[in-house]
Amino acid sequence: MIDTSVRRPPAASLRGDKVVETHGLSKVYGKTITAVDRLDLAVYRGEVYGFLGPNGAGKTTTIRMLLGLINPTSGSASVMGAAPGTPASLIKVGAIVETPAFYPYMSGHDNLRLLAIYCGVPMTRVDETLQLVELTPRAKHKFSTYSLGMKQRLGIAAALLKEPDLLILDEPTNGLDPQGMADVRNLIIELGKGQRTVLISSHLLSEVELMCTRVGVIKKGKIVAEGTIDELRGAATLTVRGTPADLAQTVLVRDVGPENVTALGDGSFSLKVDAQRTAEINQHLVQAGVAVTELHMDERSLEDIFMELTGTEGGL
Amino acid sequence: MYAAFRGELFKVVRRPGIWVLVGLFLGLAILIGYAITYLIYTFPPAGSNQGLPPGTTLSDFKVALYPENVVKQTLSQWGVLGGVFALIVGVLVQGSEYGWGTIKTLYTQRYGRLTMLFGKIAAMFVVVLVIVIGLFAVDAASSWIVALLDGKTSSFPAADVFLKAIGAALLIFSFWAVFGFGLATVFRQSALAIGLGLAYALVIELLIFGLLAGLGGGIVKSIQQWFPIANSSYLSAAFGQVRLRGVQGQPAPYADATHAVVMLLLYVIAFTTLSAWLTRTRDVTS
Repeated sequence: MIDTSVRRPPAASLRGDKVVETHGLSKVYGKTITAVDRLDLAVYRGEVYGFLGPNGAGKTTTIRMLLGLINPTSGSASVMGAAPGTPASLIKVGAIVETPAFYPYMSGHDNLRLLAIYCGVPMTRVDETLQLVELTPRAKHKFSTYSLGMKQRLGIAAALLKEPDLLILDEPTNGLDPQGMADVRNLIIELGKGQRTVLISSHLLSEVELMCTRVGVIKKGKIVAEGTIDELRGAATLTVRGTPADLAQTVLVRDVGPENVTALGDGSFSLKVDAQRTAEINQHLVQAGVAVTELHMDERSLEDIFMELTGTEGGL
Repeated sequence: MYAAFRGELFKVVRRPGIWVLVGLFLGLAILIGYAITYLIYTFPPAGSNQGLPPGTTLSDFKVALYPENVVKQTLSQWGVLGGVFALIVGVLVQGSEYGWGTIKTLYTQRYGRLTMLFGKIAAMFVVVLVIVIGLFAVDAASSWIVALLDGKTSSFPAADVFLKAIGAALLIFSFWAVFGFGLATVFRQSALAIGLGLAYALVIELLIFGLLAGLGGGIVKSIQQWFPIANSSYLSAAFGQVRLRGVQGQPAPYADATHAVVMLLLYVIAFTTLSAWLTRTRDVTS
């Protein structure tokens, strides 16, 4: 759990069956506040799905509906093939909703023992999960004495207790220090391997970028974009500056086609091209007698995409 | 539902607040019901015999503290007031889940909301049973000590009387516990539920009917017979009164024990149903 040099797992090449599915899911409070607006969402088995959105976008409301905590105003949802909040669904789902809540007068160990009784899992799982989140040394201390980070770890342990097929984690790194965040991030990546599905909501874009195979961006209760990180980013651009500019343009148009070259002025060009062709293009320019003064790939960050899509800096 | 019940028992057994409350109640039962009363009857302050029936002294009242009267004494003293403690238990068991936000943890484990709710109510009844048995146990022990101190020979009521009395107290206290549980469910918190519950138990019903009694006793009593505190009193009174020399007994209760049992059962069912309906239909937002 300590290695911080993580990279997000590759996107699943083949999509499994849908473990979370919503159709026109809406939640309206009163007559005017639409928290979730006709949401169509599909999360496939084995994915680590990132649910991104600014504060108040409807992430937590959606998660609460998926867990059966709140009833939708309209639309339908299916979680692990069953209606949210039913025993058939709950037994296969581990979840953290906002800040993990436990009984303050009991130890972390007893809180997990309690959940083990409810879920019908063997007590040996309690020690295993506490060890997994590195809470064993404080396991016998009262929950009320835990730091926010420890509470979050206990929440993750509780979510893992029944070895769920689907993990729903609402802002799981809240309150954690950088090391704790890295640990949880690594843990989630580990958990997301194989057939287990993870649905994670977050406003920490760098986290989502590292962990998730697919991302949905929600704004004002609606999904405004969905896809893999690469799909959301779109094609990378290569910026080239060279003199003489007209000769550079001739070479670039010949190499990548006129539709992929945009003159930026000042001898600069933007190219829609595969990053692997950078060296080849540079070589052609130099061979043609162009003095290349600038050459770099521009890749849009998830943060750029997020701000474009939501028109906000959200929780950044 | 057994897992839900086991889980709830696991929680209440480990919850200090519940047992502090139970301990406080049993302590008060000994202190107010026997210790202080015994001291006053044994060492009456000067002039305390004024106003008593001719030929009687305060020490004559000590008969109420002897084992033969333990059932009557316990029910008449705590039949209504003890319910307040059961009400607080009911509020704590349910209201704290909202306060701590654990209601969402509870409802995202394995079973549906109603299963978890009924498991919780069943565990609450266990606590109420412990309170009731504890009450009769400490009162019986106290009465035995009083008789011993006074060198009196007095025997306990028959076992079946004890069992019926425990059943009656269990029903009365269960009503109060479910009432508190229902209030906590309605308001999704403990503070307001305890406040309103205490206001009802100590003021509202007694005050309103006390004032209305001035308008016409018969009509008021015919209305009052449908309310829970009145029925708690009828049920307690069904076990009889302590006979004190020279003191006129209370009039017979307006309704009999059967009426009281049916009414209290209906209240238990009504508040359980209300809690279940709210739990099933309402959003969990804490």
